[in-house]
Amino acid sequence: MPVYYEWTSLKKSKRFKQDSPSFAVTSYPLKTNVITIKEPSSSSLIDHLNKWSSGFEEVDPLLRFEQMNAEEDLNPLETEVIEGVNYTKAWNSRRAGILNKYTTGEKLTIVSSYLPGGEKTLIRQVSNLNEKVKHRLEQLDDFDEGSVRKTMGLSQQEFVTKINLLNDEIKKAWETEQRVKAFKIGIQCSKLLSDINVMQFYPSKFILITDILDTFGNLVFNRLKEKSFGNNNLMTIHNIDPRTVPESAKETCQNWMYKMASIRELLPRLYMEMALLKCYVFISRDEIKPAIKRLTTMIRGIGNPLVAIYLRVYLCHTASKLLGKDSEGYFYENLKEFIEEYQQIFLTSMRKKYETQLLTQDKYLNLFVPALDWLLFGTLNSNKCKSDLLHEFIQKCEEIENNELFLCCLVSAFDSPTIIKKAPKILEMVHSYADKMVMMNEVLASLGEHLCKADTHRQIATESLIQTWWKIASNMKSTNNFLQVLEPWLQFACTHLSTQHVNVILRGTIRYMIKCGKPADEFSGNFQFVIKRMLKSIPDVEELFLMDAFMPLLELVQTSNARTMLAKTVLSIFFSRYNSVQIEDHIVISSLMRLCCILHDSINAVTVEDESKICGELINKFIQAVTYQDDLERQLNFYVECRSSFIKLDTVLITLVHAVNTLAARAKSTRGKWLQRACAAYCFVTVPSLHCTLTKTQLYLLSGQVALLNNCIGQAEANFKALIGLIPDIPDYILEDGQKKPTHVKVAGILSDFLSTLLLLPDNVDSNCKAYILTGFIKTMERIHWKKTEPLYYNTLLRTLDLLCEMTQDTYIHHLESVLSNDQLYGSDPEFISVLDRHATNICQELLVVLKMLGDNRETKKQYNLSLELFWRVVRRGELNERPMLSLAANLWMLSQKTQDSQQQTWEINPRFIEKRNKPQHTRFTSKAGRRVKKSLIILRPQLVLFKICSIYKVSRLL
Amino acid sequence: MEGSVNLQLSSKNVGIFEAFSNSIKPINLINTSIELVPPGKIPVGVTEIPFELPLRARQAVSPGYPGLLETYHGVFVNIMYTLKCNMKRSFLNKPVNASCQFFVQYRQQEAAPLKPVRCEITPASIRAAGGGTRPMPHFQVYAEINSTVCALDSPLTGKVTSLPPPVCLVLQHSVVIQWSPALQIRVDECSVPIRSIELQLVRVETCGCAEGYSKDATEIQNIQIGEGDVCRARDIPLYMVLPRLFTCPTTTTPHFKIEFELNIAVIFDDDYLVTENFPILLLRSK
Repeated sequence: MPVYYEWTSLKKSKRFKQDSPSFAVTSYPLKTNVITIKEPSSSSLIDHLNKWSSGFEEVDPLLRFEQMNAEEDLNPLETEVIEGVNYTKAWNSRRAGILNKYTTGEKLTIVSSYLPGGEKTLIRQVSNLNEKVKHRLEQLDDFDEGSVRKTMGLSQQEFVTKINLLNDEIKKAWETEQRVKAFKIGIQCSKLLSDINVMQFYPSKFILITDILDTFGNLVFNRLKEKSFGNNNLMTIHNIDPRTVPESAKETCQNWMYKMASIRELLPRLYMEMALLKCYVFISRDEIKPAIKRLTTMIRGIGNPLVAIYLRVYLCHTASKLLGKDSEGYFYENLKEFIEEYQQIFLTSMRKKYETQLLTQDKYLNLFVPALDWLLFGTLNSNKCKSDLLHEFIQKCEEIENNELFLCCLVSAFDSPTIIKKAPKILEMVHSYADKMVMMNEVLASLGEHLCKADTHRQIATESLIQTWWKIASNMKSTNNFLQVLEPWLQFACTHLSTQHVNVILRGTIRYMIKCGKPADEFSGNFQFVIKRMLKSIPDVEELFLMDAFMPLLELVQTSNARTMLAKTVLSIFFSRYNSVQIEDHIVISSLMRLCCILHDSINAVTVEDESKICGELINKFIQAVTYQDDLERQLNFYVECRSSFIKLDTVLITLVHAVNTLAARAKSTRGKWLQRACAAYCFVTVPSLHCTLTKTQLYLLSGQVALLNNCIGQAEANFKALIGLIPDIPDYILEDGQKKPTHVKVAGILSDFLSTLLLLPDNVDSNCKAYILTGFIKTMERIHWKKTEPLYYNTLLRTLDLLCEMTQDTYIHHLESVLSNDQLYGSDPEFISVLDRHATNICQELLVVLKMLGDNRETKKQYNLSLELFWRVVRRGELNERPMLSLAANLWMLSQKTQDSQQQTWEINPRFIEKRNKPQHTRFTSKAGRRVKKSLIILRPQLVLFKICSIYKVSRLL
Repeated sequence: MEGSVNLQLSSKNVGIFEAFSNSIKPINLINTSIELVPPGKIPVGVTEIPFELPLRARQAVSPGYPGLLETYHGVFVNIMYTLKCNMKRSFLNKPVNASCQFFVQYRQQEAAPLKPVRCEITPASIRAAGGGTRPMPHFQVYAEINSTVCALDSPLTGKVTSLPPPVCLVLQHSVVIQWSPALQIRVDECSVPIRSIELQLVRVETCGCAEGYSKDATEIQNIQIGEGDVCRARDIPLYMVLPRLFTCPTTTTPHFKIEFELNIAVIFDDDYLVTENFPILLLRSK
């Protein structure tokens, strides 16, 4: 068996180009349809989340929370049929809000006799007559039920835990029939609410403790219900008829009431009565409303305004649970009571208290906001005419001193249309009190928010409003407050006024920021909000960059960190809101360029990968959007500038290369070679600075192809040369999204793309070797370190073999317009052909080596596949009339047959595969081989033909 | 059926010795007995014997007999009614006894006419009343009680079931919550912060006989109606539920008296205390 087979390629007869009738079409199946799918905003969050987690069995935690919320909403027990507003829901949302807002780092104190731990302290209660006796009696009591303990120095979290512990304790006591103990825990808890030592936590404390009281109220209620109706769950607060309640249950209920009424201290008595308010339904429904009324007036006895208003909140809350819509009158009553007592808030004694706790006045006043908000919420839901109500309240505001708290809550509680009507009046009020108003920023900010919602068509005196506002705002002392107020008003200005006006405001802002003396960095958070808001609200984002004050405003921030944040915000919002695909305006381009530079300069060695990824994406968007229309030279200059500015980011460089390639392709028709060469040079210079070898090869290939397309042969060759040089450096694995991924599929793709491009590349005539680039490639393949048994290696060789055969043809199967390919260059010069055949012979030889190695490694499947592949190449592309080729084919066939036993199943498939692929060839082949075969065999099925080959071979060997 | 008033002298007013020796004879209010079943046999099992007893005051009135009074348990005065059932059995068997206390309340009377009381508490008024030796802060407190005649109300319903043997009597009573009359207090002016405003219900029991009498005040309920420095010039409601067990209609008999008083106490931040006293009349009325 000869070891060396000389390869001779088959010269194909010239194919006739068949002229089929053709016509121009606009749509065809392969056309790439650009479909932009916009996420419909109406689709619910749950659906959206579901989409991502449907693959998992476990519901992911975020989704679970959402579902829980949804279930809560659907829960029939929770949703009482109340016409109008669902107070339970409103309460729950406020409840969560309060708990989040009012937190503290101060140490808290809890006094209870039902908690373990804590130092034993006997708390003396306020008492007057025969105090001594009482104190002694108390001491005696204390021996009975464990002394009252005071636990001090609790952190907020510990406090919450303790409160929850008490909640459990109540339930436990109730279950173990110790009802009086539960009652006492309730009293002790409500007593905690008289302690205002850590004021800023008070609202949260209120929420926590009223939860306990609710628990207690429910326990009593449920027991009475059970006593009355057994386990009938259909009975609710709303359908219990006192006449059907048995005498014993009534008696129990009354006992509770007496017990509650004899609580000595006022605050716990009131809280407990509120908690037990719903139990009145067992006695008489008519009792409820007078009781609420009475409680409303009794709260007057609480001197501390903070304690009193939260007491009113709880009263209204229980009333709303009990009466629903009917309770709204009580909200109003309580609000009126509150206004009567309004001045209590500003007493000097209170002032001393909050000052010793290091609270500022606005923080102190903020503690009242949620409570007042709740009272107003209920009041507004009543059917009264809102504008009348507002009018009334505003008049009240004018009458009372220190009206900012009330005014602030009014503005935030009423709906926008009503407030907008009164906006000038409110603004005027603020203006007149401006110098001593504490919560002015809140008032103005929420007024601004309302105005933002104003109908654009409605005629409101926008300009005068803005002017008055600016007069107030520009005199504000705190920069933070100023920015807070600026945010909504700027939006209002953006939507309602011309850009000139906005520009004026921006200029004013710059002046203010400079005047305030402190660097803008301290307020970068607020500053960013302002900018964000403006970007989101301005009708045309591009216009913003055309204002002369906008960029200087951004430059106010000095620290690089804050700057980067700002630039990122601006860019991302800009691109999300920018409607058209291209940016043409030069001013906008230069502004964006500046922002991108800031973004890029922030990147350093320690930047997180995601961070630079985001930056890269934003800059890419910018580069892709910028266009100078027909001024291609300028466009290229822009890209050059970009390259020098964004050298740190690989993704940007990649984008640039692509962009320049696009530019080069566009330039083709219009200009001379100059620009195209410049483009090709640009790419060739840019690519080496990238890090990833694989990307580099890809880009080299692409740039080479584009250069070839533009008939810049030298540049194309340079690119391809560089590519070949890189092949050995391609790693087996690359890191992608933190995972190691094999590269061989991509490499195989790139290489076959490259090889097919080589068919078009005219040879370098100056060099002394024919098929210069291809030769280089083959040489590289020879010394490459790839494992020979890898499919990547031998498949590449097979493809090279394909290319070599194709290159020997008289006319290549495709050409590029204006590019002179080798077929025309050499005109099938025998010297050229022989070079190619030599290469083919070598590769064939190498493949045989691989086959042998595969056999040695017992990789039969691979061996089988390779032998068949090679066989087909020999048969299709080789000149079988040459003896070595024929014998090679036969040997390969034998080899594949040998391995066939272990590959039985593949054998079953193979003939059909062959049939499909080689129909035209095999007829040709058989006609040639058929000189020694009977004619009848020609029409036999392919496998029979194959057997024939073997017999032919045998015959020929005999000859 | 038996009803009696037990009186005890307080050791405060009279000497200890006298307190022990002078146990005042209980005043008998009612003592009647009827035969429920004539001698004979009661069949095995539960036998219910219905009975009826008129609750009527004695006809022959001795001097000082007060008539029927409401059940009341105080410190020095106790008014108690009991039902006793006695079953005499045959020779060698002990008689079986059972007893049960029951509560007596008056029928509701017609509502008494309101007797409103107003008063102003100022440093001057206190000085006029003889108090106030130390310097007082300037204040002016206005208090108003709609009526000093207040009603307590409780219908009595009874059900007697007897199970032989043992005989058992069950009595139930239910009370409709009766709110005390509306009261109001208003702090018009006050130069120092107020700590607390409290309302105190005091019961005064007076026991008297030939040898002397004792008068004793007991606080039976004290509730706070104002906490902290309350808002000036605002009416704060005074509101108190009368405790069931410690109150009864105001009673005056030759031998003893049960009376009630209200104290309004204003405690200032420096523990200075100002009180105003109102005697009130409690009635069982609508």
